[in-house]
Amino acid sequence: MPLKNAPMRDYGGIGFLVIAAGFLLITPILSTHRMTDFMIFCIFAMSFDLLYGYMGRLSFGHMLFLGTGAYGAGLFIKYINGNPLLAILVGIVVAGLLGMLLGLIIVRTTGACFALINLAFNHIGFFLVLSPLREITRGEDGFGVSATKLGFLNFGSRPIMFGFVFLCLLLVFYFLKRLTSSPYGIMIRSIKEDETRVRFLGYNTYLYKWLTFVLAGSIAGLAGALTALNYNYVNPNAMDVNSNVGVVFACLIGGAGNLYGALIGGVTYMIISNFLPIYIHRWEMFLGFSLLIITFRFRRGIWGYFQGIWGNIIKNKVIRKPIEGGAADL
Amino acid sequence: MLEIKNLDVAYGHAKALHDISLKIEKGQMAFLIGRNGAGKTTLLKTIIGLLKPKKGSITYQGNEISNLSPEELYLTGLRYVAQEKKVFGNLTVRENIEIAAYASREPIDRTLEKVMSIYPKLKDFLKTKAGQLSGGQRQILLVGRALVGDPKLLLIDEPTQGLAAIVIEDIVKILSGLKDKVSAVIVEQNLAMVNLLADRVHILKEGKIAREIMDKSEISDTRGLEEYL
Amino acid sequence: MIYTILYGFSIGAILYFISIGLSLTFGTMRVINFAHTLTYTIGVYALITLFAFLKGYFVLAAILAVIIVIPISYVIERFIIRRLYGESLDYTFIATFAVSLIGVDAIKWIWGVNPYPMKDPIGEYLMFWGLSLPIYRILIVIIAILLFVALNFFFKKTIVGKIVVAALDDKDGVRCLGINVDKYFSIVFILGSALAALGGVLYAPISSIHPYMGLSILLLSFAVVIVGGMGNLKGTFISAFALGMVMSITARYWSQGAETMVFIVMAIVLIFKPIDI
Repeated sequence: MPLKNAPMRDYGGIGFLVIAAGFLLITPILSTHRMTDFMIFCIFAMSFDLLYGYMGRLSFGHMLFLGTGAYGAGLFIKYINGNPLLAILVGIVVAGLLGMLLGLIIVRTTGACFALINLAFNHIGFFLVLSPLREITRGEDGFGVSATKLGFLNFGSRPIMFGFVFLCLLLVFYFLKRLTSSPYGIMIRSIKEDETRVRFLGYNTYLYKWLTFVLAGSIAGLAGALTALNYNYVNPNAMDVNSNVGVVFACLIGGAGNLYGALIGGVTYMIISNFLPIYIHRWEMFLGFSLLIITFRFRRGIWGYFQGIWGNIIKNKVIRKPIEGGAADL
Repeated sequence: MLEIKNLDVAYGHAKALHDISLKIEKGQMAFLIGRNGAGKTTLLKTIIGLLKPKKGSITYQGNEISNLSPEELYLTGLRYVAQEKKVFGNLTVRENIEIAAYASREPIDRTLEKVMSIYPKLKDFLKTKAGQLSGGQRQILLVGRALVGDPKLLLIDEPTQGLAAIVIEDIVKILSGLKDKVSAVIVEQNLAMVNLLADRVHILKEGKIAREIMDKSEISDTRGLEEYL
Repeated sequence: MIYTILYGFSIGAILYFISIGLSLTFGTMRVINFAHTLTYTIGVYALITLFAFLKGYFVLAAILAVIIVIPISYVIERFIIRRLYGESLDYTFIATFAVSLIGVDAIKWIWGVNPYPMKDPIGEYLMFWGLSLPIYRILIVIIAILLFVALNFFFKKTIVGKIVVAALDDKDGVRCLGINVDKYFSIVFILGSALAALGGVLYAPISSIHPYMGLSILLLSFAVVIVGGMGNLKGTFISAFALGMVMSITARYWSQGAETMVFIVMAIVLIFKPIDI
């Protein structure tokens, strides 16, 4: 297997701790509230990367699922029951159901078709919550969300929210890490490489694609539900079509097809979009130029870049050893 | 006229041609035979510049051409007829030839005359959309297109593939008429044709040259060649 | 009702101007240009500045605005689009989107974010069956039809046009006949961008002008191109006017749903006839 594709040995527990430590370290620098924001975005970025990085399908409408999760959770609390945990579950389920429904048709498509049809549905969703469903969703103004307290779980309190989101982040990361290292993950990646071949091997690629789509949508829904609880507020911006560029940028800059990359990219984008406008007035232009540089030079993103360096280091170490049959593969 | 030395061509990581070396003399008609996937089309595509070799050199009329583009090579007299028999389907036959005449700056009437003289039957189809032609007619059109301008070396990929016997006859006739006037490298599975026209045969197997037959008399031994198809 | 039809056709005409370039760029270069409507927006803002400068000569300002767009589109083609040949769709999307980001921000920088008002330059009405129809809109439709005829002529009768049509069928085949197709594709790209600017310039007086106007109409143009078929000239013409009518009719009953309706149509088309790229 060519060296650049060789997976880094799954450090499992260590990687986990590194991430956890990393986030905890940055937190004192920024506020817990900001950090919670960042982490929610990272969850969203990971869900997007599942679709884009691992399965190779670029969607320009993933916000639809974030928004659905947000509205699902928010409306649940507003009209039915203030239980935040249930609300989050509802958010995930609603987003998942939407993914199941739309996925049936959308997964048949690929490339630009896929990107645009997601965009179309995102747009439609945005419009729906803005106008026809105005009675329920309060249209442009949005509505407040106040969850009830569950014992010590008071989502109104920032540290509690932070802790809960942190937990969710780690759980999602762990789940996706296991998933992508499993045979399922290999299947998805194979589909990205050469779907026809996989199909000829007898696998039902449609099912796997659909499943991935639903999964990605559900996790995005989780991010949405957490957003609703974090801000205590939901409005159509949760489904804003233009926000898709953020998550695309995040996955690109971090390195698509890589969970660590999604996290790095997520944090990087959050930092850029939150702090750059303060220092550079024309930050969108800066964003545009960086995107250009990345697409033309740093295809594999920051994480991929480091992986490449790591690979070279290993290669140098191995070549020093006497060449046995196996080493030639590297 | 054409010399290929130690050519390596790969699709991504998959090597298609290993260390290919062969020579074509002026005025000769060389045939490439081999199984599907042996690398014949890859070789032709690399010569015409649609693919770039990883290693090795291609010398044409004394010049290194492996890094040149198809457009540049056209003016040196290299002509390529692809395996897929794609014509400009939305244009008429006449317009197809018009486009062929564009780069060589040949006046369209002279071109049409030349092509008609090779294959008079095309005259009836001048106004037909090329997409509506039959496989055999397309092949004739493609060969006709390739002969526009001042062709010196033809690279033709499986001209008789999928064609009816009567059309194959026509093509063989056209190609025999070109012998000694134009050099050619032709990929073929049709051994009868090879037998008739070849000055030499190169046999490709799994991306390498398995055998080269320089002697016309040896070529008649079709049984020997069959095992390579 | 007549208003609705005229309105629909005039929107359709504008969509046509813009979608032609998008469709051709996709058909020839296989690049989906997210920055396509940047030239649309630039054309509009150039128009505003020139209009003020030329003290109200609309036609002259319009023509100059379209001409100004040409070198800009050349730069975009030369440095970005050309590098995207043969790239996966993801990267062309992202790279061209980046260009659009940069461009829109540049526009905001130079002209500011506030919308500019502009008036119908003719301001006259045609009395027809007791209704007063704005001549300006009728003119737009006429220009679109003339453009369609002109383009048809170009692609069917001129050698350059035929080369492009041939290349749409078999690019390698054209290359192997000694023709540098990329050069002609660049011309096509610039032509498409200029037409988009023309669309912008014609639409400016009857729409709202703001830096993001390109983005909103871009999505609609994508819909037109998908419904009409990439690289399909006649299809683009028909689908532009058809979708224009869809918007106009929807707007009559449900004012905010016009754009969404177009997307629903696009989604339906994509479901039944997915484009395979």
